[in-house]
Amino acid sequence: MNILELRRKLDNGLSSEKLFNECVEAAKKSQVEYNPFVTIMNKYEKTDSNSLLSGIPYVLKDNISTKGILTTASSNILKNYVPVYDATIYEKLKKAGAVLVGKTVLDELAMGGTGTTGHTGLVRNPWDRNRQIGGSSAGSAAAVALGIVPFAIGSDTGDSVRKPAAYGGVVGFKPTYGRISRYGLFAFASSLDHLGIFARNVRDVTIVTDIVKGHDERDMTSLPDDDKVYLDIIDNDVKGKKLFYIKEALDNASEEILDNFNKVIQKCNDLGIEVKGESIDKDLLLAIYPAYMAISCAEATSNDANLNGIHFGVRGEGKTPDEIITDARTKGFSELIKRRFIIGSYILQRENQEKLFLNAYRVRRMIVDKINELFKEYDGLIMPAAAGIAPKFDEKSDKLSDKYLILDNHLCIGNFGGYPSITIPSGFVNDMPIAINITGRIKEDYIVLNIANKIEGTMEYKDQVARGGYNV
Amino acid sequence: MYKTVIGLEVHCELKSNSKNFSSARNGFSDIPNSNVSVVDMGMPGILPVVNKEAVRNSIKMALAMNCEIPKYLTFERKNYFYPDLPKGYQITQFKHPIGTNGYVMINVNGEDKKVLIHDTHLEEDTTSMDHYNDYSLLDYNRCGVPLLETVTEPCLNSADEAVAFLEGLRSIFLYTDTSYARSDKGQIRCDVNVSLMKEDATELGTKVEIKNINSFSSVKAAILCEVARQTEVLNSGGIILQETRRYDETLNQTFTMRSKEDAIDYRYFTDPNLPPIKIEDDWVNEIKREIPKLHNERFSTYTKEYGINPKDANTIVREKKVSDFYEACVALLNEPVLISNWLTGDVMKYLNRDSLSIEESKLTPKMLADLIRLITLGKINGKQGKEVLEKMMDTGKEADVLVSELGMTQISDESEIRKIISNILLENKNLIEDYKNGKNVFGYIVGLIMKNTGGKANPVVTSKVLKEELDK
Amino acid sequence: MDKKALETLAKKLMFTMDESEYETLSDEFETILKQMDLIGKIDGINEVEPLIYPFPLDNVRMREDKVVDELPIEDILKNSGDTLYNQVKVPKVVE
Repeated sequence: MNILELRRKLDNGLSSEKLFNECVEAAKKSQVEYNPFVTIMNKYEKTDSNSLLSGIPYVLKDNISTKGILTTASSNILKNYVPVYDATIYEKLKKAGAVLVGKTVLDELAMGGTGTTGHTGLVRNPWDRNRQIGGSSAGSAAAVALGIVPFAIGSDTGDSVRKPAAYGGVVGFKPTYGRISRYGLFAFASSLDHLGIFARNVRDVTIVTDIVKGHDERDMTSLPDDDKVYLDIIDNDVKGKKLFYIKEALDNASEEILDNFNKVIQKCNDLGIEVKGESIDKDLLLAIYPAYMAISCAEATSNDANLNGIHFGVRGEGKTPDEIITDARTKGFSELIKRRFIIGSYILQRENQEKLFLNAYRVRRMIVDKINELFKEYDGLIMPAAAGIAPKFDEKSDKLSDKYLILDNHLCIGNFGGYPSITIPSGFVNDMPIAINITGRIKEDYIVLNIANKIEGTMEYKDQVARGGYNV
Repeated sequence: MYKTVIGLEVHCELKSNSKNFSSARNGFSDIPNSNVSVVDMGMPGILPVVNKEAVRNSIKMALAMNCEIPKYLTFERKNYFYPDLPKGYQITQFKHPIGTNGYVMINVNGEDKKVLIHDTHLEEDTTSMDHYNDYSLLDYNRCGVPLLETVTEPCLNSADEAVAFLEGLRSIFLYTDTSYARSDKGQIRCDVNVSLMKEDATELGTKVEIKNINSFSSVKAAILCEVARQTEVLNSGGIILQETRRYDETLNQTFTMRSKEDAIDYRYFTDPNLPPIKIEDDWVNEIKREIPKLHNERFSTYTKEYGINPKDANTIVREKKVSDFYEACVALLNEPVLISNWLTGDVMKYLNRDSLSIEESKLTPKMLADLIRLITLGKINGKQGKEVLEKMMDTGKEADVLVSELGMTQISDESEIRKIISNILLENKNLIEDYKNGKNVFGYIVGLIMKNTGGKANPVVTSKVLKEELDK
Repeated sequence: MDKKALETLAKKLMFTMDESEYETLSDEFETILKQMDLIGKIDGINEVEPLIYPFPLDNVRMREDKVVDELPIEDILKNSGDTLYNQVKVPKVVE
């Protein structure tokens, strides 16, 4: 059930503790087949509140700081780490009376897109156990797709909410950079990191966004309050809005994806939204993926330098401080993470900064400038969310590759420019969900939600629960 | 012979209520780990938030050192692993320090010298470590305390100049009230770069860095022994290796820490969590107005306008409180030299005896001015003045109260003294004879007068009247 | 990138890697360096200011100088593997 359905039930006498217990049951059952959870809560805890989320169960990605509750970032180096403070987003949800059901698996330290690298094992796609759900917010996407909870919190540095949402047939939204405070989100790449929301429809995503957004004095990059209630805006007429898509990114798209995309464009037109193709220099589009890798690895190698096992985390063995740090980091990180750190560190070296690190930031600006220029004319960018359906486990790994599709990597434009960006289900290919993505101007989260809500309304893919799901 | 070239990097902890990037207390506590926040410990998910007061103090210092202030406040990360650095990086300023291209005037052996300041930048202090036989303990109280690092150009040419600069710098911290700058508490620490060059050479010699010296006297000793070491190496035909050394106080020797090859690449990059903040001109001007007249300006007023000798002037300006006291005194009584004599003499003597600072003492500028006025008016003599001063500083009583309590008001009235002299001469007629016969009895008669008056006869008036009476 | 260079990089980051991983890493380096080379050749890239923050933030405010958050000693030590006398203990640090 979605948030509003559960709201009605709760308001009509359903006990939120009973609901919590049902969620916990479902969560426990799901572990065997899909493995979405690092921790499933064993105690019902709720703050009194009159908010729409009061009593509503949800899950948090396990890289969000929760005081007194194990938070591992799905990494061995933090497998025993129990935070002593709450992330702002968790504080806000607690205050709104939402009930935490569990902490979900991610790709180790959020560095990955497959959902296969967490220290507690890989997460499976609820629509097909042989496929990935995608990452890094794998467990959060799976928990919503399985119908265990109506919404989940994830984080999105390249596409880590929006891609797994697409593969899982649910809605995934990442608001403007700074709209939700990052305080308490374990940093991966600070200049790209966003918190994001999974739910089964745009309205639910909006309800949650209204609760968790807002300025936070503990995050200097957080935006001033915009004093808007997005829920009041999302049903507005979208007639006259203009969207564009990037022609070059569709060059190698499969027929099924193109077909679906064209259908969505037709729906947009029916709503009075004008959709046009625009050209962007292919060199720039091909630069997105390597620039993302360079920036994210470089920032991550510094952000994760606090993981040395001395002050917190699993302590290494040895006779000197160097030995214990080296032991902790050697055993604590998977080989993929180490490779990312080495690449990031190399990029940051004095002699390489200009050519590697700063050029990555430069091309980031070129891409963002180009998009901003187009945003002068258009209200948003609409694209297929991915090049295809969720890959099988042997089809895709996190190894750096020179064979990549623009269509599978364009979502991080949203992170480069901090744009609000949402993925909504738009159909099925081979019985697996596919999705479209809408990205809008910074600070205009409500317009993106508004357009997405209206488009969603023209299709029959909202409130989906995967085969094999529970629909609590 | 070689010319010594020295550059200094001085770290000084700034005054503030809270730390540089966290809201834990910035205070020196003997209780380990009593002023620590999650931010200081670099716990996963934390974010830094800049302390306005630390920035204000940095700008104040930068202005006091005649530096240029950048348009925007920005921070970089300096990345390295060490047990005292929980985040794995130190937040510092690399690209746009808070002050650049400044200078500080110093006076060494009567000669003025302009010490060029390359830059001064705001950063954070590290965790303090206590070392035991086979382990070390970490106390995070110091971790995150605002630290201002001031870097001079290699423009100092002797240990004396280096120490004079350090004392001058410390004095600016105290005058601007931006730091306690106490070396005994490790609040001011210093790295010294030393190189030697032939007198006629145009290029600097290879520099050796001596790390982390805690007192000014050690700076002097370290420079002297490093210069001696380098001289010996050069004289015996050797070459100086670029390296980092440490100074051992007990052995009075420097030792190699690491060579240039092992130099760490700190992989500096802009901290994405700290967006640039515009430094408004109005704010800078407001801060500028708060800077008091500094010690070197006061020194030159005292020596050039007041005619105070440089040694005493130096003693007065060393501490702002003393200098403020002096100036308040001079404002009450226009006797700058006398006041200086009393202040640097007996006042200091009693303060030192009782280990008091001038503001802790009971003496006020008005009390000292009143006392000196009594002496200049001839109400008491100098010897009595000293006695009154001591009592004044013990009891806090006003000078005139003590003078009458001690019954030491001087007899300066001519007719009264003449009456006393007449009586003495009447009883000792032989003395007049002896005087007329050229015998040296003048002093003896003065002694009789003093004995008769209990020492209260004004000596000047007494001599004058006695001479007149004898010459009758 | 030869294995020795990669080992040095790993050492600086304070970990060691599985022998078999160096080959993968070497391939990855080749890939990313080639890609970054192409980025370096993009027309006009040298005239562009690096974009570090997604967009310019106005109204960024500094913190007022108040003591707000301090941890109780139990919380400071809670996650550390070794403590003594209310401090975190490590093998002797030799400076």
